[in-house]
Amino acid sequence: MTTKPELRTGSHLLPGLAAVALFVVIAAVVLRASFGDPQGFASDASITASIGYAMFNLGMGEIPGEGMLVAFEIIDVVLVAALAAAVMLARREEDGNMVALLADGGREITDRLGDDGTEDSPAADGRPAADQGGDR
Amino acid sequence: MVPVQWYLLLATAVFCIGLFGILTRKNALLFLMSVELMLNAANINLVAFSAYWGNVTGQTFSLFTMALAAAEVAVGIGIILVLYRNFDDVDVTLAREMRW
Repeated sequence: MTTKPELRTGSHLLPGLAAVALFVVIAAVVLRASFGDPQGFASDASITASIGYAMFNLGMGEIPGEGMLVAFEIIDVVLVAALAAAVMLARREEDGNMVALLADGGREITDRLGDDGTEDSPAADGRPAADQGGDR
Repeated sequence: MVPVQWYLLLATAVFCIGLFGILTRKNALLFLMSVELMLNAANINLVAFSAYWGNVTGQTFSLFTMALAAAEVAVGIGIILVLYRNFDDVDVTLAREMRW
């Protein structure tokens, strides 16, 4: 027997009505708006070359466009920062354990607390308490 | 030339699908996909008006938006990995505090 994905319906879809309403409002506005006569690109103009010239402020493109060299440099820095951040978040330690940014999600520290709110030591599963996240 | 209103309608539809996903889902990966849809809706607008006005600024800027989206996904997936390691799930409603 084959199965197919089904849309789970229920009250959790109610907030989505806001998105549907937003679409109706924007569509009503857009379809009634007028934007003047389109200008378009010249048929013999090289769009790709013009984008390249605009990206580096060279000003040699056939199609007009603003220089974007500053934006290019900013995006360069942002990409490098994102790459470093992604590696920092996802890396494993040298011994293969995934302890980077590991915490307990509020579960184990609750298990380790006795009825009087004091922390039991050592932990029930035998691991040192320092390895279980907690306040990390 | 296709009237620019149709491009705007397409962009609106894509944006609202992304918004619908964010409002109704709890899976962090679906959140990431929905945000991508919303970013790409903005790209559609930029490219449509770039062609409409005969100016390459919009197309150039949309390239930067795509690079920004790539950076956002890289960090987003890293955050989802940490979320999974800590909660054994990618449900965004489980993480309710900035520090746990």
